[in-house]
Amino acid sequence: MGGGRKVVCQAFTTGYIMEIFLQLTLSGLSQGAIFALIALSLTVVYRATTIVNFGHGDFVMAGAFFVYVLVIYAGLPYLLSSVLAILIMFVMGLGVSRGFIDPIKSGPHIGFAMMSISLGYVLRGGARFLWGREVFPMPRIFDMEPIFIGELVITGDVFFVSLIVAILLSVFFFIFYRTKIGIVIQAVYQSERGATLIGVNVRAFHQSMWGVGLAMGAMAGILIAPISLLHPDLGATFLIRGFAAMTLGGFGSLSGAVVGGLLLGFAEQIFGFYISSTLQDITAYLIILAVLIIRPAGLFGRTITVRV
Amino acid sequence: MKFVLNKLSIGVVFLSALTVVSGVQASDTTGLTDTTIKVGVMGPFTGNASSYSKTQIGLMAYFKHINDQGGIHGRKFEIFPEDTACAPAKGIAAAKKLVHQDKVFYLHGNSCSAVAMAVKPTVSPTGIPWIIAHAVNPKISMPVNEKKSIYHGVPAGPAYGSTMGEFVMSKPGTKRIAMITHTNDWAKAYCSPAIEVIKAKGGQIIEEQTLERGQTDATAQVLKLKQAKPDFILGCLYEAETVIFLRDAKKYGLKSPVMGTAGTDLENTLERLGDKDAVKDYYVLHAFVDKVNGPKMKKWNDIILKYNPKETITGFSAVSMASGVAAVKALKAAGRNLTRSKFIAELDKIRGLKTGILACDITWTASDRHGCKKSAVAGFVDGNPTVLSAWGKAW
Repeated sequence: MGGGRKVVCQAFTTGYIMEIFLQLTLSGLSQGAIFALIALSLTVVYRATTIVNFGHGDFVMAGAFFVYVLVIYAGLPYLLSSVLAILIMFVMGLGVSRGFIDPIKSGPHIGFAMMSISLGYVLRGGARFLWGREVFPMPRIFDMEPIFIGELVITGDVFFVSLIVAILLSVFFFIFYRTKIGIVIQAVYQSERGATLIGVNVRAFHQSMWGVGLAMGAMAGILIAPISLLHPDLGATFLIRGFAAMTLGGFGSLSGAVVGGLLLGFAEQIFGFYISSTLQDITAYLIILAVLIIRPAGLFGRTITVRV
Repeated sequence: MKFVLNKLSIGVVFLSALTVVSGVQASDTTGLTDTTIKVGVMGPFTGNASSYSKTQIGLMAYFKHINDQGGIHGRKFEIFPEDTACAPAKGIAAAKKLVHQDKVFYLHGNSCSAVAMAVKPTVSPTGIPWIIAHAVNPKISMPVNEKKSIYHGVPAGPAYGSTMGEFVMSKPGTKRIAMITHTNDWAKAYCSPAIEVIKAKGGQIIEEQTLERGQTDATAQVLKLKQAKPDFILGCLYEAETVIFLRDAKKYGLKSPVMGTAGTDLENTLERLGDKDAVKDYYVLHAFVDKVNGPKMKKWNDIILKYNPKETITGFSAVSMASGVAAVKALKAAGRNLTRSKFIAELDKIRGLKTGILACDITWTASDRHGCKKSAVAGFVDGNPTVLSAWGKAW
């Protein structure tokens, strides 16, 4: 009985409640950082080409598998393997755009969706064919002694993932808003016709954005695989979360994708702890439903008014 | 005219009877030649549950081993592997192919309970002997089907689940049990019988948490469980989610011991976590008489590696070989004039068969087709993987 009373007392201490909340927040933001990266990579392609890449989850998985191959089979260091995998995925993005998207540009828009789904499944099938019977552990690269602040635990996973994503996002937004390349990208985003008139090669731009999108997706895969496990179905879980983050932040909004991802990660933890863990898995769907009904443009999306 | 019609009718009846009799005889020996026994082996050779197909790899290696020993009464196994991808629709197609196109003598194998349950309406009416060598849903083989042709050669859910419950309650002072599970039938097949045993022994379930497949973080679940302060945790989770749960449990200082299912194994869980400290309080159902790479398992592992040199031995590899041993015993007993009926009759005579592989003896009767009634448990004792029969008690 004494033990039971102690549990109750501890459970209702303000400090304890605060510690739990902070722990959930930290974990949520760390997971959300990955969702943000995936949502941002989806948005980069969507903003440039108006194509929603339904196969993106599998490109995330492919990036992680490239690192696995380079580390395990080629014996390269993890960091070098990651850089090479990101480059490979960038080139793959260029190839996807040139080889699979450009040829169907004159067709119906649904063709893009079908193409991206098909490409994703081909990648997944290929991975299953090559590694189908195993679930692989990735090298533990985020190991460090946990930092304790009272009962609050900051582990290597949380620390490094949050830090790396923060650096990547800072670099991305710096390039986007503070460099000439970024200004060109913004120009094409605003008006493709205008950009063409000032000499921008819009076709090459689309291809580059596919490359950037896939490379950023690969970064997410590279960060998540050492924390979870690597398997061909890894990306499916993240695709729907990427969509939910995009929806919450506002379709086409780069900063919205990031905020949406972080909020989704946080919401999953809060739903899972304070309501029910059975709801955790459907948090992304609940957010999509709620946002589309209450505020279809999302938090940062622009409401487009068409005058007829 | 009437006489002719009568004669014709008698002739038709006679021919029909002859056809039926010969048909029965033909179907009773379908899949047999003078030199071969055709056996269909269904398993998830592709897909995200394909790590389970190691059990079929092991079973097929055993059949090849028997062939190399000279076969059974002059016949050798002709193996027909079929992929189910752990998907019911694909499983049904595989079963139809084996039954109607390949015309196998009997079926042996099957991981994935959902596939076996989906396949059952196709296979059961044919009366083809079918030995379930890995899937755990008890309803696959019991109640006994109308043709009395289906057998379970591994512990089914109730046997595994009750072992989990028995082990948890064997720890002195255990009263408060928490659970973390998937919400599918597979998890229920383990956890429901475990809960029954726990409640019957005076334990209570104080917290239930869900971790669905594909989730990559268990912070919320672990913090809830930590708050509940359980004496033991039942973990009905697949491999990947088990790793994520144990990782987060260590991260947030959840120190209660965890009892896992046969869907995971100790060595692989350790390999995937890469952290001995995170698995030191993890206990898992262990079907075998020894550690996966223990001396008693060497003979069986060597057979697998002889025919599959690149195979990695895991806790799944030898599971199905035990029912292979039982099948071979029955085939030998049925003699050279083998039929499906004789094979079934001999399977029903198997009593207390010590396969040297599974921790349970196999016993089949005409009214009870759950051949294995118990399992061992594996856990780390003093840092070493150890096979246990109860808390602190070596097998």
